[in-house]
Amino acid sequence: MSAPNAVQRKACWDARDLLWNCLDVNNDQAPACEKFQKDFEAMCPAQWVKHFDKRRDFLKYKEKLEKDGFQLTKVEEQQ
Amino acid sequence: MLRLGKSSWDVRSWNIFQSTINKKNHFHSSAKGTLTSCKSLFHLETSTRPIPPLRLCAKQRAFYCQETSSSAKPSSSAPIRLRTRLLVVLLIGGGFAGTWWYMHEKKQKKAQRQRTEQLKKVALGKGNFSLLDHTGQRRSKKDYLGSWVLLYFGFTHCPDICPDELEKLTSVVEILDKDTTLPPVQPIFVTVDPERDDHAAMARYVKDFHPRMVGLTGTVEEVKEAGRDFRVYSSAGPKDTDGDYIVDHTIVIYLVNPDGLFLDYYNRMKNENQIADSIRKHMKTYVKLFP
Repeated sequence: MSAPNAVQRKACWDARDLLWNCLDVNNDQAPACEKFQKDFEAMCPAQWVKHFDKRRDFLKYKEKLEKDGFQLTKVEEQQ
Repeated sequence: MLRLGKSSWDVRSWNIFQSTINKKNHFHSSAKGTLTSCKSLFHLETSTRPIPPLRLCAKQRAFYCQETSSSAKPSSSAPIRLRTRLLVVLLIGGGFAGTWWYMHEKKQKKAQRQRTEQLKKVALGKGNFSLLDHTGQRRSKKDYLGSWVLLYFGFTHCPDICPDELEKLTSVVEILDKDTTLPPVQPIFVTVDPERDDHAAMARYVKDFHPRMVGLTGTVEEVKEAGRDFRVYSSAGPKDTDGDYIVDHTIVIYLVNPDGLFLDYYNRMKNENQIADSIRKHMKTYVKLFP
């Protein structure tokens, strides 16, 4: 299967942006954005879907770190 | 001071009696501090009592009139002194600013030289790669000696990073193309995924970017060799159900000079203007190795 060309790439990115906007508005409630999720999965190769999902998780994590600060987890004392 | 009979008073002619002006007697003239005509010079009033017009002999009159009219500047002594003061301040300030700027430039140039030396020591890209370009023609490093090269390693199935970086690279080349005094830069895209990216796939990919962009591919061994040359890290991820996979790789644009020496690199943090500026600087300071 050949790689997506520029037009296909842009279509995928736009679908991803719509999905992410919806998730931002709905506070990451996946059921509320089912339509966008379906569009996104249709426009983008499966690997890209996984990649962008991971990217979104990372961005959310980064946001959380910037807002709440870094929390050191307690390490059990070694005997 | 000019004495005339019993009354003593000053003639406010600044270029003659500037240092001896007696501020107690003020001279009123038609405009603020201006001597509009020679006549007004001789029809003066003090703040205390009117004085009859000064009667000078023709010679004296000519002397004063000549002096004041030739130097009839529309300002009295206070603004002139201010102007000279300002000028002196500006000159000194300018001197300081100029010196600071010169030292700053020197420091920058030194930092740039040091960086280039360090990168030259690292000596990336020493080898002689041999790959196929997107038209199916064999190309080696020798073919690109004599031109400035911007190199990027990626793969065509890349979701977002490679297209972004190649867009940036295209913008950089376009910015530099606008300056006709600079030599043209050769953008090259090398794949880290030779199993899927044959020259036809590369051709399809590079046509979305700069018209001069060349896509290079080859056998797995040839591509690995070129990657090793530039210490490019690449690692193919797990394959999907449809055989798709993402290749993790170093995201860097390499600058190679016409002698084939690696000079500089640019990561995702640098935008196209910063990269173009850096390349311009390198071009200016470039000295041919083998003239």
